[in-house]
Amino acid sequence: MDETCQHLTYREEGDGKSFETARAFCAVTESFVQPMRADVCNARYDLDPATDCEFYFDPDAETTDGTDADGDR
Amino acid sequence: MTYDDYLDGKPAVITAALTGGVHGKEAHPDLPETPEEIAAAAAACEEAGASVLHLHARRDNGERAFSTERFQEVADAVREATDDAVLQHSTGGTAAPDALRHEPLRTDPAPEMASLDMGPLNRYERLTSENTRGLVASLHAEMRERGIKPELEVFNDGHLNESLAILDDLDDPPYLNFLFGGGTTSPPHPRNLINRVEALPEGVEFNVIGFGTHQLPMTTQSLLLGGHVRVGLEDNRYYERGELATNEQLVARAARIAEEVGRPVATPEETRELLGLRGR
Ligand code: SF4
Repeated sequence: MDETCQHLTYREEGDGKSFETARAFCAVTESFVQPMRADVCNARYDLDPATDCEFYFDPDAETTDGTDADGDR
Repeated sequence: MTYDDYLDGKPAVITAALTGGVHGKEAHPDLPETPEEIAAAAAACEEAGASVLHLHARRDNGERAFSTERFQEVADAVREATDDAVLQHSTGGTAAPDALRHEPLRTDPAPEMASLDMGPLNRYERLTSENTRGLVASLHAEMRERGIKPELEVFNDGHLNESLAILDDLDDPPYLNFLFGGGTTSPPHPRNLINRVEALPEGVEFNVIGFGTHQLPMTTQSLLLGGHVRVGLEDNRYYERGELATNEQLVARAARIAEEVGRPVATPEETRELLGLRGR
């Protein structure tokens, strides 16, 4: 993947904070993203959210036995 | 730079790192990000005793910017707001391509100083800022061409090796910046700074950064060893535990401590003389 992270949104409010200009917000951590990390979220400079971000998860991923990756285990 | 320099009352250069490139207003509501905010912080820090202003540029949404254009906006605003302080542009940057890393050097006029990361360092869990020798050499070459003094960023002992290996290529006096903190920076302990200082050849000037809670003790120790100090919200958000700081407060405290221990705070003019700078 070398496209913007599917969990990235730009918001003016969230996580108890508000900003005049919309800032990077991560739906996984439910918090605003540090500016340097936003390079990963935006897949800038060949960064890849799926491999370069420790918070990333792929909701469509399936485990090898066919069950959902985020199902009960 | 030695304990004798301390005893001789050598002026101490205070650098203010106003904003940085890692965190932003999501971490500290008053961290300056726009050119206007950075300029206001710069003026307050110059007034409080900083003679060098370490600058990063941000986009409108707080994210990092490396472009000459954005650095020009920041530098113009800071020059306008300050009297005589030295501008130092950051060239550090996670995964930004080499060409972009050169852009902060290309403002008009060029900054008097710029940072030069001396090797790789880890960021977060899976990122490394590579800083290959090739990139270090090409940034240094452009700095020399434009009359910009490099501040060699020594995040760990490996970077000290790399710095000592190029000492002969540096204009006098070589200026090394020792960083102490977590991850791939040096473990923050007074004995590690003493070891560093003892490893330096005659004539090398050094500066010290301590991240977070280590800012105060490590920079204070630097003053006793004849070194210089960098403080500011880039490196440390708190004045004391649980109390957010301002850039100006951190500079004012460093200036007070320097004076108290017998190191007069260097004016911009004295800084230029000490470090061999081109002039603003
Ligand atoms: S922090 Fe990670 S998971 Fe969240 S938006 Fe950025 S890349 Fe995606």
